[in-house]
Amino acid sequence: MIFSRHMIVAVAASLACTVSLAQVDEGIRKKAEETCGSCHGPGGAKPAMPETPKLAGQQYEYLIHSLKAFRDGTRESPLMGAMAKPLSDADIISLSRYYSSQSGLRTRY
Amino acid sequence: MNWLAHSRWRPILYAFGPIAIACSIGVAAEGDANAGKVKTRMCAGCHGISDYRVAYPEVYAVPRLGGQDESYIAKALRDYRSGARKHLSMQGMAASLTDQDIKDIAAYYAQGGTK
Repeated sequence: MIFSRHMIVAVAASLACTVSLAQVDEGIRKKAEETCGSCHGPGGAKPAMPETPKLAGQQYEYLIHSLKAFRDGTRESPLMGAMAKPLSDADIISLSRYYSSQSGLRTRY
Repeated sequence: MNWLAHSRWRPILYAFGPIAIACSIGVAAEGDANAGKVKTRMCAGCHGISDYRVAYPEVYAVPRLGGQDESYIAKALRDYRSGARKHLSMQGMAASLTDQDIKDIAAYYAQGGTK
């Protein structure tokens, strides 16, 4: 017997986790595209205006740091300050995870 | 140039000469990615290392710059230089940059992302 009962339970549990993660990601994607997409472009890959950064593939920790800095005003930007103000810590984490997981920016040597 | 200075073309020279000079300066002032490559040596100590993290004032991974919007990088550097955007090490780095350095560095980093 290669598959024990424990293994079946483990596989089922991990599948359930994958499904719920995918659902969460869809919600985040919608929120990101509605809130941030109009300036930063679809997936944060194609900014609509000059002097607007790409977000696709940016470092997760840097995105969190930036959004928190905009929210608390330590990084000054009237536009981004207003956008970040209503975000909860959980929102910031989700949005940062979404944009950092898109393909785009790379480390340039 | 003597023939030009005394010819009937002299008014035209005076009228359009400065414009021609201004145009050539305009062309030279575009960002040069090749020149930027040399100028980013001091940036590479942090931004050239994949997943490099700064420890002060907070611990977080430094941003990836390859493929970033050129005008955004230029704006960020100008803001660090003027103090409008605050980060101790980046303000120190940007303080020594000329306008041309900033354009060249921005042109260099704007390359190198994925499409």
